[in-house]
Amino acid sequence: MAEQNISPEQLKALQEKIKQMSPEELKEFQKKQCIFCQIISGKVQSRKIYEDDKVIALLDINPANPGHVLLLTKEHYSIMPQIPDDELAHVFMAAKSLSNSMLRSIDAQGTNIIVANGIAAGQRAQHFMAHLIPRKENDGVDFVLPQKVMDEKEIEAVGNKLIASLGEGEKADEKPQFKVPEKPKESKVSKQPKGEIDLDEISKLLGAK
Amino acid sequence: MAKKEGCIICQIVGNQIPSKKVYEDDLVLAVLDVNGANPGHCFVIPKNHYPIIEQVPDLEIGKLFNVSNKISSAIFESLGVQGTNIFVANGIPAGQTVAHFTINVIPRKENDGINLQWQPRQLSEEEMSTVELKLKEQAKNIGHFEKEERKTAKIHPSKPAALSEEEEEYFTRQLRRVP
Repeated sequence: MAEQNISPEQLKALQEKIKQMSPEELKEFQKKQCIFCQIISGKVQSRKIYEDDKVIALLDINPANPGHVLLLTKEHYSIMPQIPDDELAHVFMAAKSLSNSMLRSIDAQGTNIIVANGIAAGQRAQHFMAHLIPRKENDGVDFVLPQKVMDEKEIEAVGNKLIASLGEGEKADEKPQFKVPEKPKESKVSKQPKGEIDLDEISKLLGAK
Repeated sequence: MAKKEGCIICQIVGNQIPSKKVYEDDLVLAVLDVNGANPGHCFVIPKNHYPIIEQVPDLEIGKLFNVSNKISSAIFESLGVQGTNIFVANGIPAGQTVAHFTINVIPRKENDGINLQWQPRQLSEEEMSTVELKLKEQAKNIGHFEKEERKTAKIHPSKPAALSEEEEEYFTRQLRRVP
């Protein structure tokens, strides 16, 4: 994720400065600083794979694998929570289609979709992006998600905190899309996806996590 | 709901396996991972059974990622973490272990032992141009997204065709191998 080289000290100073700004000033400031906004406006060259009114997909110049795509919102958002629901939905519909494109055109055998929110999560650029990484067996890319053993009480406590926090979001007017639909509609997708595969066999082997 | 017998995720959806649910609506369920990468690690899943992202209808994709985003915000607000990752492994070579599409929402702190970084590669101009051309050509087929429930059966010529049986077979058969 080497899109921008900012030292931790510079970032700290930046964060201090950012704290003093109004939201409008902040957005303008960030846009001016943002290399990806310059790419989107065409001031900086890039290899575009896909573009529509809301998103743009570019080849990463320092890819994890050939065909590694950065999927960006055209609007400047620093982190994912700032993105309106309809725009975010659009981003990941595009991600799905691009993943499909990777399977079809460059012999990918799988794909990873990664979003990093915050420096601790690996975010380097000040512009929201989803990384789409085509994968092959033994391609040298190795993501590590340790499996930590947590006790039930801890899980329960963490879960309750999250539920409480999500509930507040639900009540807040600015997040209306998150409400549970009043009339649950049955059988939205009643058909199995086309192209039947032997899911039983897959499940048997993969069933026990 | 389209469920698959023997699928552990479908059993969680159907309450045959107990779980700590943090969010549920008619299409989407979010549960805490008991063996998560960090406390608060959630997985967000479609209630319908789809092994890979290509099979998930656009409408459900939108809902799944919107829920993931809200959970990411809730993690920030309530767990005092320094970041979150959204992580999807699609296909065995990408690290998928269960044949039911899953979005991981992972709370992050410095030095927490999680590695979602990669070694940046430097490709030649030629390699970059080749992959650009191939992907771009294929991506031309990306058109209309099904953002709303279809009222009547419509055919969108611009929409990329679903994976054919053979292609899907090729892709998902990878999932049969025990990782």
